[in-house]
Amino acid sequence: MGTLLDWSLLSATLWKVAPLLLAALAGALCARVGIFNVALEGMMLIGAFTAILGNDLFGNVALAVLFACFCVGLVSLLFAYLTIGLRANAIVVGMAINFLATGLTAFLLYAIFGVKGQYRDSTMSGLPQWHIPVIQDIPVVGELLSGHTPLVYLAFLLVAVLQFVLFRTVIGFRLLAVGENPAAAKSLGLKIRGYQYGAVVFGGVLCGLAGAQLSLGQVTLFTENMTAGRGFIALVATMLGQSNPLGVMASSLLFGFLDTVSTRLQGSSIPTHFTMMFPYVMTIVVMLFFKDKTYLRQSGRLDGK
Amino acid sequence: MKRINWTAYAQSLAAPLLAIGVGLLVGAIAIWAVGGSVGTTYAEMWKGAFGSFYFTASTLTRATPIILTALGVSLAFRAGFFNLGAEGQMVFGALAAALAALYVPGPGPVKMLAAVAAGMLAGGLWSLLAGWLDTRFRMNLLITTLLLNYIAVYTAGYLVAFPLKEKGGTGGAQTAMLDNSAWLPKLFADTTLHAGFIVAIAAAVLLALFLTFTTKGYEIRMLGSNPLFAAYGGVKRGQLMLVSMLLSGALAGLAGTFEVLGTQYRYIDNMLTSPGYAWSGIMATLLAGSNPIGSVLAAILLAALQTGGMGVERNTEVPLEISSVIQSSLILFVSARITFSFIKWRKARAANGNAA
Repeated sequence: MGTLLDWSLLSATLWKVAPLLLAALAGALCARVGIFNVALEGMMLIGAFTAILGNDLFGNVALAVLFACFCVGLVSLLFAYLTIGLRANAIVVGMAINFLATGLTAFLLYAIFGVKGQYRDSTMSGLPQWHIPVIQDIPVVGELLSGHTPLVYLAFLLVAVLQFVLFRTVIGFRLLAVGENPAAAKSLGLKIRGYQYGAVVFGGVLCGLAGAQLSLGQVTLFTENMTAGRGFIALVATMLGQSNPLGVMASSLLFGFLDTVSTRLQGSSIPTHFTMMFPYVMTIVVMLFFKDKTYLRQSGRLDGK
Repeated sequence: MKRINWTAYAQSLAAPLLAIGVGLLVGAIAIWAVGGSVGTTYAEMWKGAFGSFYFTASTLTRATPIILTALGVSLAFRAGFFNLGAEGQMVFGALAAALAALYVPGPGPVKMLAAVAAGMLAGGLWSLLAGWLDTRFRMNLLITTLLLNYIAVYTAGYLVAFPLKEKGGTGGAQTAMLDNSAWLPKLFADTTLHAGFIVAIAAAVLLALFLTFTTKGYEIRMLGSNPLFAAYGGVKRGQLMLVSMLLSGALAGLAGTFEVLGTQYRYIDNMLTSPGYAWSGIMATLLAGSNPIGSVLAAILLAALQTGGMGVERNTEVPLEISSVIQSSLILFVSARITFSFIKWRKARAANGNAA
C-alpha cells in the first residue's frame, strides 16, 4: 500500500475509465439526437454477459467482443424501435430494458452456465494487454500508457473520432441538427429517425464494448449485476461533459479516478461500507459543483426527450 | 359517448391482460429453451403463488411492501418526477422504525406508532433531500435518487454491522429483536400476512381519492401531465416537488417499517435489498401507469410471479429467475402500450389532412 497516490493509481484509472467512457460516449451520442438514454446500465450488463458467453462459444476474444457488440446492438435496436418508432417514453423504456437486462442475464447465467451469482472459467483468456514497443520503456509514461487492453485505447481513440465527426463533418452537423432543431432538420429533408436510430444503435455497440471491457478486461468473469450503477454514473459523465466527447472524456476520467481511489482505500482501515460508498458520494458532490446547463431543458419533463 | 366509454373500458382491461399474455409467452419460450415443461412449470408457479391459503397469504405478504413503494413512486411519477430512490428510502425507513421500536419507552402501541412515524419520517426526509437538491441546485432527480440508494444501503449496512449490531447476538449484521408487544398483528393464524396489508390497501384508496378529489392532487396531476400549463395556472413546481417527494419517500419508508414490524421484527442487513421490493414497486408503478388502484393489482401480480418462481425452483429444474424474465418482458411490453393511443392519434391527424 505505502502511499495512496502513485503512478499505478493513474494507470489503473485508465482501465477503470474505459467502460465508463465508452458508455458515456454512447449516452452523449443519444443525447445529441435528443434521446435521454437511461438504458446504458442494462446495455452494459448485457454486453458484459454476452462477451463472456461469446468467449465461451467461440473461444476467441475478438469474436467474443464482436458478439457482445452484436447482441447489445440488437437490444439497442429494440430500445430505438420503442422510443423512436413507437414514441414510447424513453425513461420508462430505458428502465424496462434495465430490468430485462438484470432478469435475462441472471436467467441465462443459470440456463447456460448452470451457476448462480457468478461465472468464472479460469481457462478462459481475457482481452490481451498491449505493450507498446518504444513507449513501454520510458519510465513513467510507459507505466501509464502501456499494457492496457485494446478497448482502452479504442475508447480514447473514439473520443477523438467522435469529436471530429460531430463538429467537423457534414454527417456530424446533420446529427447535431436533428437533436437541436428537429423541425429545421426535417425541412432540410434529413431523415430524423434514421439519424436517431443510427445514434442509438451505435451507442448500443459502444455499450457492448464497455461491457466486454468490464467482464474480459482486468478480470475474466461475469457477476450478476456487475455494472453496479456504472451506467448511471456514465449518464452523469455525459451530462457533466455537456454531451461533448472531450468533455465526456474529462468527466469520465474524474469518475474513473474516484473509483480507483475507492478501490485503493479498501486496503486501509476505513470500513469497506464507506469505501464502497465513496464513488457514489463523490458523484453527487461533483454534480453539485459542476452544473449541467443542458439539464434545464430536461427538468420537469416526464418524456425525457 | 357511451360507446366510446365502453371501448375505453375494454381497452384499459385488454391492455394489461394482453401484456400478461405476452409476458407468459416470453416466459414459455425461456422455459422451453432450458428444456423445462411449460405446462408443469406454470402449474407449479400457480401453486407456489395461490396453491393454498398459506401460499396465497405469503404472496399477499410479499405484495405489501411492493404496494406501498409502488404508491409512493406513483405519486412522484404523477407529478412528473422520476423518483428511483425507493430502495434507499425504504432502507432508512426500516432502520429508523427498528430503532424507534427498540428504544422508545412505553407500551406496545406507543412503540408501534413511534416506529411508523420514525420510518415514514426517515424515508420522507431521504427522499426530500433529492427533491431539495433538484429545486435548490438543479441536480437531476433521476440520477440523485439512484445514487442516494447506494449511500443509504451502505450506511445502513455499516450501522447494523457495527454500532447498532445486536449485543452478544450470534447472528450477522442485524439489530436486536423487537419486543413482541410492538409486532404488527397477523391477519390469520399460522400465516405470514400481517395488518400492514390492510394499511397498504387503505393507503391506495386514500391516494386515489387524494389525486382525484383534492386541489393538491389536481395540481400534482397537472404538473405531471403538462408542466407549462401548471406553471401558467400558478402551480409552484419547487414547492409541489418537495411535497410529493416527501410523501413518496414516506410511503417507501412505511413499506420498510412494516417489513420490520410485521415480518422480521428487527432490521437485518439486506432484508429489503435482496428481495428487491423497491424495484418491484417501481415495476408495479410502470405496469399500472402510475394509477394507485392499478398499482395494487400490479404489485400482487408481481409478488405472485415471485413467490410462484420460488415454487418453480423448489419443484422443477427451471430456475427462479424465470420470474424476472416474465416481469421484465411484461414491463417492456407495457411501456410500449402508451403508443397505441399515440398511433391512433397520428392516424387521426393524417385523416384530417394535416399530418406533420
